[in-house]
Amino acid sequence: MELEALKEIDSQVQELGARIVVLTPELERYTRALHNKLNLPFDILTDLHLQIAEQFGLVFTFPDYLRDLYKSWGSILDRFHDESEYRLPMPARYIIDSNNVIRAADVNADYTIRPEPSETLKLLREIARSERRTS
Amino acid sequence: MSNLKDRLEEFKKTFESGGPPYNVPPDKIATMHRATAELKASGIEGHALKIGDRAPDFVLFNQDHVEVSSKDLLRKAPVVVSFFRGHW
Repeated sequence: MELEALKEIDSQVQELGARIVVLTPELERYTRALHNKLNLPFDILTDLHLQIAEQFGLVFTFPDYLRDLYKSWGSILDRFHDESEYRLPMPARYIIDSNNVIRAADVNADYTIRPEPSETLKLLREIARSERRTS
Repeated sequence: MSNLKDRLEEFKKTFESGGPPYNVPPDKIATMHRATAELKASGIEGHALKIGDRAPDFVLFNQDHVEVSSKDLLRKAPVVVSFFRGHW
């Protein structure tokens, strides 16, 4: 749902000279299938074993009772991620400027809440404008 | 087109109603709520990188097995980086 919502703003993002990328712990065979299915205009990158998500401080491990619940539903996260632990990134959306500095950060431990793409676009416009002024 | 929040809330309502197509029993919904509340209470959000921090560099494979580096992306800065838990 979130990827489809990001897809809706992608052309406006590109008009600003900016880009969207999505990072996920899932292996390439799954990102490829998802990318095809949703016909996404931006890349999905495989953050193998959550190395980058770790550096952003986003990784958490499922407690045993939650892992058991997902397993009872037939979840095979371990296969999607090529690791036995049930670790995930918190959903997060960042805007990074050309100096590699984080200019917007939206992180939520509640995975049912996601930042609004229209809000991201608005922030991006402001950042792109300020970069043009200083360059 | 409705906003993302409305779409997510609509899904959540259906999912947590316990009805079709997901048919999730209330005790399992409670388990999921407990896990989210515990994660929130752990303070983990406060440890994530925030505004003003330097972003880590990365070089990762995309869906077509092409390497993408953050340095290349940032030449067309700014970049929106979205972390996604998966397709499931």
